[in-house]
Amino acid sequence: MVSTATHLGGQHQLQSRRFRLDLRTTPARMRLLLAVLVLTNVAWGALAAFTASQYASAASAVVTTREPLSLDALQIYRRLSDANDAATTAFLTGGLEPAAVRQRYLADITAAAAGVEDATALGGAGQGATADDLGTLTTGIPIYAGEIETARADNRLGLPLGAAYLREASALMRGTLLPAAQSLYDAEYASLGATGAQATGLPLITITAAAGVGLGYGLYRASRWLSRRTRRVFNLGFLAAALALVISLGWLAFAYANGRSSLLTAQARGSTPVAALARVDIAVQRAHADESLTLIDNSGDDSYQQDYLGLQRSLGPGAGTLLTDAQQATAGSKAAPAVTAMVADARGWYQAHASLRVLDDTGKHADAVQSALGTAPGNAGTWFGQLTGNLATGIAVDQAAFDSSARAGSSAFNDTEAGVIAAALIMAAACAWGLSRRIVEYR
Amino acid sequence: MKKTLCRAAVALAVVAALATAAGCATPAAGSVGSVGSVGSVGSADRVRVEAHAVAVRAVSHAQARAKTAAACNPNAASLAPDGAPQVTAGSFMAKIRARGYLIAGVDQSTYHFGYLNPLDGKIEGFDIDMIRAVAKAIFGNPDKVEYKAISDAQRIPDILNRSVDIVAHTMTITCARLTQVDFSSVYFEAHQRILVLNNSKVDSLAGLAGQKVCVTQGSDSGSTLRLPTGQRQPIVVSVPFWTDCLVLLQQDQVTAISTDDSILDGLHAQDPFTKVVGPALSDQPYGLAISNKHPDFVRFVNAVLAQERSDGAWRASYAHWIGAPVPPPVAQYTS
Repeated sequence: MVSTATHLGGQHQLQSRRFRLDLRTTPARMRLLLAVLVLTNVAWGALAAFTASQYASAASAVVTTREPLSLDALQIYRRLSDANDAATTAFLTGGLEPAAVRQRYLADITAAAAGVEDATALGGAGQGATADDLGTLTTGIPIYAGEIETARADNRLGLPLGAAYLREASALMRGTLLPAAQSLYDAEYASLGATGAQATGLPLITITAAAGVGLGYGLYRASRWLSRRTRRVFNLGFLAAALALVISLGWLAFAYANGRSSLLTAQARGSTPVAALARVDIAVQRAHADESLTLIDNSGDDSYQQDYLGLQRSLGPGAGTLLTDAQQATAGSKAAPAVTAMVADARGWYQAHASLRVLDDTGKHADAVQSALGTAPGNAGTWFGQLTGNLATGIAVDQAAFDSSARAGSSAFNDTEAGVIAAALIMAAACAWGLSRRIVEYR
Repeated sequence: MKKTLCRAAVALAVVAALATAAGCATPAAGSVGSVGSVGSVGSADRVRVEAHAVAVRAVSHAQARAKTAAACNPNAASLAPDGAPQVTAGSFMAKIRARGYLIAGVDQSTYHFGYLNPLDGKIEGFDIDMIRAVAKAIFGNPDKVEYKAISDAQRIPDILNRSVDIVAHTMTITCARLTQVDFSSVYFEAHQRILVLNNSKVDSLAGLAGQKVCVTQGSDSGSTLRLPTGQRQPIVVSVPFWTDCLVLLQQDQVTAISTDDSILDGLHAQDPFTKVVGPALSDQPYGLAISNKHPDFVRFVNAVLAQERSDGAWRASYAHWIGAPVPPPVAQYTS
C-alpha cells in the first residue's frame, strides 16, 4: 500500500510539470481522475488478490500440512502405546512369545519411527516445544527398542534379568516417550485449529469487501461528476468497470462463504470428534497397559490398579467424562454408532477387569492372565479388543469426513486470486477507455 | 502410591542416578542413623530388659519385641518348635488350611532364590522350596500356594497388613526387623560382598569411596556401605529389584552392586562379565518372616525347617539351586 501511495505522488508531480496544470480546466481534472481511478482499481485488485491468496493458502495448509501432521502425531502415540502393549503381552504369556504378537510389535515400532520421520520432514521441526518432542522421540525410540531386544534375549536364556529390562523399557515409554507423543499431538492439534481459524477468519475479507464497496462508491461519484460535465447519462467504460467490480466482489464473497462453511463442517464433523476420540484412545491405551502391568510388575503396591481406576473414572461414561464428551462431539457425525458401541464395550471391560483383579488377588494368576489376553466372550481382552476396534473405526470415519470437507473448503478458493486480478485490470482499462473518450472531445 | 514416584525414578535409569545422587543418598544415610539410634537406646535399657529375660513366653508381644531389639541375637531369635509340624485346631495353620492355600510373599527377580522363570512363567528357587515345604506340611501338597511377588521394600508392610502369611525373600534377620516381625530359624547364611564388572579395579569397600553403588529399596545392604568418617562415602542408588541393579551396572550407571553373596552369585550367573570381590562385609542370616501375632505358625515353620535339615531335603534343594552342598545352618532358639 505504501508503495502505491508513493507511486501516486510521483505521477502527480510528473503531470504537474508537464501540463503546468491548472485544475480549473475540465480536461485537466479528467486526466487527474483517470490516473486516480486506474491506480485505485489496480490497488484494489492487489488487495483482493492478496486476500484470496491468504485464505487459499491457509485452507490448503489445513489439508496438506496441518491435518497430516496432527494425524501423524496421533498415529505415533497409538503405535508407540501399542508397541509397548505388545512387548508386555509377549512377556506376560510366558514361554515362547506368539509370532503374531512379535509381528505386531515390529509393525508398531517401525510405523512409529516412520511417523516421527514424516513429522520432522513435514516441518514439525524447528519450532521450540514441537522440535523438542520430536527430538525426544527420535532419540528415545531406538533406546526403547534396544532395551526391548535385550529383554527378549535375556528371556530366551531364561534369565529374570529380561524382566528388569522390560520394566526399564516400559518406564521409558510411559514416562518419556508417550508424554512427548501426547504433547506433540496437542501442539499439532492446536496448530490445526489456528490455521483453520486463519482460513475462516473475518478481518481480512471484511477490509477487502469494505474497500471494494468504497471503490464502487467512488466510481459512482466519478460517473455523476462526468455526466454533469459531459451531459451524457451513462459512461460505458464506467458501467463495465462497475460490473467487473460487482462480479469480483461476488466471487470473493462466494469463495469465502463456501470455503468457510466447508472448513467449519470439517472441524465440527471431523477434527473435533477425532480429537475427542483421540483423548479416549489415549486413556484406553494407558488403562490397558495398567491392566497388564498389574499382572506383571508385582512390586507390591497397587499403583497400577489405582491408575486404572482413575482412568476408568475419567473415561466414564458420565457427565464431563471423556466417553460422554466424545459422544457429544460425534453426535451427528458418521462415527456416532461406533461411539455408542464403545460405551457398552467400556462398561463390559470395567466389569471383566474387576473379575480379573479378583482372580489375581485370590491366587488364580493364570486365569487372570488368560482373561487379560483371551478372546473368549467376557474376557477382559475381548472387551478391550472390541473397544479399540470401535475407536479405530470412529477415528477413521471422522478423519475421512474431515478430509473430504477440508478439501472442498480448500478448493473453494481455486482460481479466485487470478479472477480478481483479471477483474481489476479490466476495471482499470474500462475506466481509462471511458474517460479517454471524453478527454478526446476537448482537443 | 508413594512408590509410584520411586518406580518412575528407578527404571528411568538416568533419572534414578541423578535423583539418587541428589536425594536418595540422604534417606540411606538417614536410615543408617535410625538403626544406630535403635541400637543405642537398646543398650541403655539393656539391664532392665535382661532382668525380665526369663519370662519370655509370658510377656506381651510389645515387651517381647522391646527385649528382642535390645538383647538381640539374630541367629537365635526364633521360637522353638513343639515336636513335628502339626496343624492343631484353632491354630493359624488351621485357618490357612480352611482357606485352601498359603499366601507367600516372594521375590520374582532373584535368580536361584525366588525368580519368575521366563520359560514357563513359574516362580521358583531355593526360597520357594522352603515355602513349598511349609505348604506340604499344611496341605500335604506343595502346590497349594499363592505366590505374591513383592519388592524388598514391601516385605515388612505386607506382613504387618496381613496380605501375606509368610515371606521367603532372601530376608536377613536383623534386630531392627525383629521389632516389627518374627522370623523362623536361620535357613541360609549369606555374607554381604561386592559385585563389579570384570575390568573394574575395585576390590574392597574402600575402593567405592565416592562411587555409585546400587542396592534395592528396603534392603539393609546400604547401611553396611559406610567408610570411616572423613573419607568420601559411597553414593547409594536404590531401585526396586536386584535385577534392576544389574541393568544399571550393565549400562555403566553404577560402579558396583553390594548385597548378599547369594544374590550376587545369581546376578553373576546372568552376566559372566561380572565378578564378586572383597571380603565379607557382614553376616546375613536368612529367615522366613512371619507376623509376630502368630507364634504358633513360627513354631510350626521351625518344625518344618527342622525336618528339612534332617531328612536331606535342604541339602537337595541347596545342591539344585546353589552348588556343592554344605551342612545346613544349625537352628538356635530363644527358648
